[in-house]
Amino acid sequence: MSPVSPVIDVAGQPVSRLETILGRVLRVGVTASSLCLAVGLALSLAPGMANAARVLLHAGIIVLLATPAARVVASIGEYVVERDWVFVSLTAIVLAELLASLLAAVYGRRL
Amino acid sequence: MPAVTPALALIIFGAGAVAGGLGALLGIGGGVFLVPFLNLALNFPIAAAAAISLTTVIATSSSVSAGRAGKQLINLRLGMVLEVATAAGGLLGGVTAQTLAQTTVQKLFGVATAVVAIVMLGRLGRRNVILDPSVEPGLLGGRYYEDESGGVVTYRVKRLPAALAASFVAGNLSSLLGIGGGVIKVPALNAWCGVPVRAAAATSAFMIGVTATAGAVIYYGHGQLVPALAAAAVLGVQFGSWSGLRLGARASARWLKVLMTVVLFVMSALMFWRGTQP
Repeated sequence: MSPVSPVIDVAGQPVSRLETILGRVLRVGVTASSLCLAVGLALSLAPGMANAARVLLHAGIIVLLATPAARVVASIGEYVVERDWVFVSLTAIVLAELLASLLAAVYGRRL
Repeated sequence: MPAVTPALALIIFGAGAVAGGLGALLGIGGGVFLVPFLNLALNFPIAAAAAISLTTVIATSSSVSAGRAGKQLINLRLGMVLEVATAAGGLLGGVTAQTLAQTTVQKLFGVATAVVAIVMLGRLGRRNVILDPSVEPGLLGGRYYEDESGGVVTYRVKRLPAALAASFVAGNLSSLLGIGGGVIKVPALNAWCGVPVRAAAATSAFMIGVTATAGAVIYYGHGQLVPALAAAAVLGVQFGSWSGLRLGARASARWLKVLMTVVLFVMSALMFWRGTQP
């Protein structure tokens, strides 16, 4: 990745490094998951490709679900670098909530 | 769970494209259209419909926010604060969805969409922009350049507890009903908290990815998400919103809002009626 340069936007403010980083994380995630889903869907309609299709479709869904979570992790990292502890805590709470929903998904099934 | 056939995948791709296109034109997600279609027209269980719709919400949120990054429209700090509430709501909604009867969720969908339609009606022709560059944005406020006002718009955030409460409710309904929840947050942030509508919409679109993930993970873990159909819907919505954004500049917002209000009332009535059937 190229280094993030301080761009000045139309409002005369430097575009935050955080915003640039988050934009990249989201773009990479949504592109990767859309590719997996498109190829997986195409294969699932072709005969004899059921296993490959299954793997790609689940991979696409998992990458899609992981993208907002990755964005939250990236925010925590950037706020740590900025030593903005209030926002480190807030974004850590959001990550904890996402992990709790993962737990609810795994253990809720067995109830 | 519905079986995957090429015809079904194509129908869902088409429905996704229509929902995504309408969503992009109206500045909302397409979930309010997609869920009733899947549930009523295709007879999917409401949980399967909501799960598919939530994956499209995540995809839309991610691609729209990636495209907007660097334009200062997304209020990251406000978004991160409100996400604490929306993700909690999303988590709770996802858990409750596993315990509620389908008819209860359908009735709830009917009531929620009727309220949204009434709110839309009340906001026809309204443009809420604060133009006062001398104001300091404060800890959570923001500042961005707006073409329509021809200048830099600054705003402060008022009544944070109201914004948190609206976000919690939006997150809860998002998971339960499979919608993004922007239709609740944007009017609340705009009318109660002083956030200009464009910044409110961009910030809401940024947040709904996280909100929808909290709910979608739970449906996925419970085997209620059919990956192939979610794939068709996600690709359809991406295609539809891409097309919708290109048409958007030419369409009149006013008749689109009227059209959407009518569609919302029809869907609200249909879902509520279905919810009352044994």
